Amino acid sequence: MSTLSGRLRALPSGHVTLGIALAALGFLVAAQLRSEGPRVRYTTQERSPLVETALELQRNQDALKSRILDLNKQIRDVQVSGQGNAAIVTQLNDELENARVAAGLVALEGPGLVLELNDSAVPVPSGATEADYIVTGQDIRTVVDALWQAGAEAMAVNGERVTAVTAIADIGGSILVNYAYLAPPYQVTAIGPKGLYERLTAVPSFAELVRTRADGFGISIGFAEPQKVVVPAYAGAVTLREARAEPTPTPASPGGSSSPGGP
Amino acid sequence: MLRLRSQLALMAVAIALGFLVVLQIRAQNGGSDLASRSPQELTVIVANLNTRNDQLRTEIAALEQEFGDLRTAQSRGQTSVEQVREDLSRILAWSGQLPVAGRGVQIRIDGPIHAGSIDDLLNELRNAGAEAIAISGIRDVPGVVVGGDPGALTIDGTPAGGSLEIDAIGDPGALGGTLTRTGGLVAQLGATEPGAAISVEPADRIVMPATKRALRPADAVPRL
Repeated sequence: MSTLSGRLRALPSGHVTLGIALAALGFLVAAQLRSEGPRVRYTTQERSPLVETALELQRNQDALKSRILDLNKQIRDVQVSGQGNAAIVTQLNDELENARVAAGLVALEGPGLVLELNDSAVPVPSGATEADYIVTGQDIRTVVDALWQAGAEAMAVNGERVTAVTAIADIGGSILVNYAYLAPPYQVTAIGPKGLYERLTAVPSFAELVRTRADGFGISIGFAEPQKVVVPAYAGAVTLREARAEPTPTPASPGGSSSPGGP
Repeated sequence: MLRLRSQLALMAVAIALGFLVVLQIRAQNGGSDLASRSPQELTVIVANLNTRNDQLRTEIAALEQEFGDLRTAQSRGQTSVEQVREDLSRILAWSGQLPVAGRGVQIRIDGPIHAGSIDDLLNELRNAGAEAIAISGIRDVPGVVVGGDPGALTIDGTPAGGSLEIDAIGDPGALGGTLTRTGGLVAQLGATEPGAAISVEPADRIVMPATKRALRPADAVPRL
């Protein structure tokens, strides 16, 4: 050790600084190359205003979703404050709260896990399809379906709650969930019973995903089991334009299906 | 001379370092992979974001109206039974907890098909704005999964039989158009699922049941 420090002392200080700077340069070059991953980076001038517009629209969307959550809370507060007026309102409010929880309109917390998928860090071999090395909407859907099969009760993808109307689609080369375009890494947060991860690994479609996508193309699939996970409320439209509630189950419509059922 | 060369080399390395640090920070802080998108893809993303944001604005207008009505009723000392009941009915119907009826499309699939292809159809319908979906009479809600092998599919654990019917309530033009457009999902499935015959028909009135699943989570509590 003393020999090394002696040698370092013997070197001109400029050389030591240069050496450290070159080491840092090497590290950053490697980090930059790695961050490029399998995704192509475009440098055309026409792209820049489009990126800015998309970022601005995403910021607007965040504000709009926040306003929806805020209004939902205000409406709930007014409805609850009216409960002294009549016993029936109290009962209705309880039903309404249960319906909101079941519909995904209320944030939940509980035991569960977080599964993270990320694009492959493996260099794309020449002649291979770059898209195979990128996480797709299909990958996310496979994970979501496998988690349901494993017993998950509530889920969100990068904070977007999975509801009855949630689509997870590949549009414009990115993954769209509900209203939002998501960027990797993709975190699927699921609330469910203890041992959810063990159950998940026993689901054939998940095992197949690991085999084909992780082992085959280097897609990164990791997981964490925090003591408690949080699944946010759905922040979107709960509007029916075409569908109308049928108070009582009706016999089959033309080709349609109907059977008694209830919550 | 040697000292000058050394300083110049150090300066060049410092400039390169600074440039790469900025690039790296930008890459880490972008919060988006938009930088890797082509102009064509970005155009699609911008168009989609505009449409989705407009839908959110419409929802906000409806919620503001509802909030205003509730406040007015409350200030007059009126009970809000009717508004609460309407809200309850809307949320139950939207989430699959009540039977619903309306116009839409009916998709019939005869012959063996992979579960993943059915999942693609359901996802496409949701993305096209379907308000409610049922697969062979089983309401599509969170937790319902199509599984099994072609010819022996299960819907939420129930055997589906030889043919499948997917009912979707929503704008029939939008739903049908998305599925059947040139190069659309039905055309793609025609190539990848040669054993399955898929037809899409508009319907004036479809009735579908409520889910039989218990949607209220047992392991979770509302986060206040």
